[in-house]
Amino acid sequence: MEDGVVSRSGGGGLDAQIEQLMECRPLSEPEVKTLCEKAKEILMEESNVQPVKSPVTICGDIHGQFHDLVELFRIGGKCPDTNYLFMGDYVDRGYYSVETVTLLVALKVRYPQRITILRGNHESRQITQVYGFYDECLRKYGSANVWKIFTDLFDYFPLTALVESEIFCLHGGLSPSIDNLDSVRSLDRVQEVPHEGPMCDLLWSDPDDRCGWGISPRGAGYTFGQDISEQFNHTNNLKLVARAHQLVMEGYNWAHEQKVVTIFSAPNYCYRCGNMASILEVDDCRNHTFIQFEPAPRRGEPDVTRRTPDYFL
Amino acid sequence: MAKEAEAWDGPTAAELKAAGAEAIPGGVRVKGWVIQSHNGPILNSASVQLFEDKLQTTHLPEMVFGESLLSLQHVQTGIRLHFNALDALKAWKQEALPPVEVPAAAKWKFRSKPSDQVILDYDYTFTTPYRGSDAVVQKPDTMQASLDESSNLCWEDTEDQIDLVALSAKEPILFYDEVILYEDELADNGISFLTVRVRVMPTGWFLLMRFWLRVDGVLMRLRDTRVYCSFGSDEAKPVVLRECRWREATFASLSAKGYPSDCAAYGDPNLIAHKLPVVMQKTQKLKLPN
Repeated sequence: MEDGVVSRSGGGGLDAQIEQLMECRPLSEPEVKTLCEKAKEILMEESNVQPVKSPVTICGDIHGQFHDLVELFRIGGKCPDTNYLFMGDYVDRGYYSVETVTLLVALKVRYPQRITILRGNHESRQITQVYGFYDECLRKYGSANVWKIFTDLFDYFPLTALVESEIFCLHGGLSPSIDNLDSVRSLDRVQEVPHEGPMCDLLWSDPDDRCGWGISPRGAGYTFGQDISEQFNHTNNLKLVARAHQLVMEGYNWAHEQKVVTIFSAPNYCYRCGNMASILEVDDCRNHTFIQFEPAPRRGEPDVTRRTPDYFL
Repeated sequence: MAKEAEAWDGPTAAELKAAGAEAIPGGVRVKGWVIQSHNGPILNSASVQLFEDKLQTTHLPEMVFGESLLSLQHVQTGIRLHFNALDALKAWKQEALPPVEVPAAAKWKFRSKPSDQVILDYDYTFTTPYRGSDAVVQKPDTMQASLDESSNLCWEDTEDQIDLVALSAKEPILFYDEVILYEDELADNGISFLTVRVRVMPTGWFLLMRFWLRVDGVLMRLRDTRVYCSFGSDEAKPVVLRECRWREATFASLSAKGYPSDCAAYGDPNLIAHKLPVVMQKTQKLKLPN
């Protein structure tokens, strides 16, 4: 690919790559490799509880819905004009995981102070092999190399962020092993998402109507009740826990008497749910505004509303 | 990249005319039947609350297409078969299968204090024995999402079988749709999916409702309900056959037979159905109301 030449020309090359990615054209494998090496240097310096200043716009799951990510930037403002905090799940499910995650990583490398990208439970070797990213890399690059480069990079993504010391942002939710932010800071995060333990909880747990720690009927995984959220926010002087991880029709959903909010930023999830997406703007004065948006007009994606009949038996 | 589906513009006017059928909004009218479908979005917060109240639960599938439905109505007899998420979830609630542990459960150490702990013990797989709802309706023009009365049609066991040869004929399709009723990703431990497909031809209609469950590394369940009506000579007396076939297998049993044990090999139920042993099979015939 002739674009490979561009990457060797420094910062200007990165801008050209971002422009290319914004048109939904993936980078070449050598370009991805170089980009991820730079990203690793930046991400490894970040804290498990990465401090973020307002104004900032907080976003939830994207899941490879590239055109909707472009729509998100159109509605929320371009990066770096708007600061962004993404709470994970960039890949899997949608058809453009490669373009989506490459664009976000490229923006991180280009504007490290303007965009924060946390780790979601899908930023993992195991999950991406089942839910699409691995197959997409094979299809688009002919080998698993790009998948390996990205999943190695995912190990460095920060787990949580703290906006102006009052909004705690993470993909999943709270953990019974974590009472305060210092215990998050002391985790060794550079590893595959474990099956068990505090790091797993942060990326997987869900709020629930039931009080206390709920034990999932799956035999693994926690839910946390309003009493847990209240205690956690009180202990850590927080106003709010902002998290993603769950689909909600309106794009955002308050829980636990506004101690917890779920933000989901993939509209019409899986191209069939008909849900709105939303992002949360936190302005200079720390005021919160949710902005909802609908899917971008589709190009080249299967239209599931029109079904081709088949002679099923 | 997913290939773009060929656009299907529906049957031609000539095909409809030859079959004595008429296209109506969201469906078709043919041989005394009115067949309609509707696909809506997932439940919003208010409807989630409504469903939770009706079902007496606080746990619903992540995606419940509460307005979506398929309805097949025989005008003269008032027979109405319909398929909707609420009734399917009522059946889930009633069957209430015991929880299935995921592989990670073996490594899981519960770290919360027992005094702070609650065990959530609903069937998170949303396995349902639902075979569709039915009723005799007096006013056939309403398309309600759910009928509150219990089923009042009678199905009798039969030795008859659905005529697969007739169904294999490539007749013109006068109406086709797929309606997803609910879906859950089991918190990325697999999939639970309830969907119904219908096709209407000049000689009959056929539908397949399928509950598909894969708990990664643990088990798969496939519960198929096929309903077939062959348009006979007497429009007033439709013959409707319903076949239920349930299949189930654990990953361990498949791997013991030499089949692959990674879940990526079990993405498409169409391709692997034959590998799953049948655990229940029954064919019934609809008894016409007086």
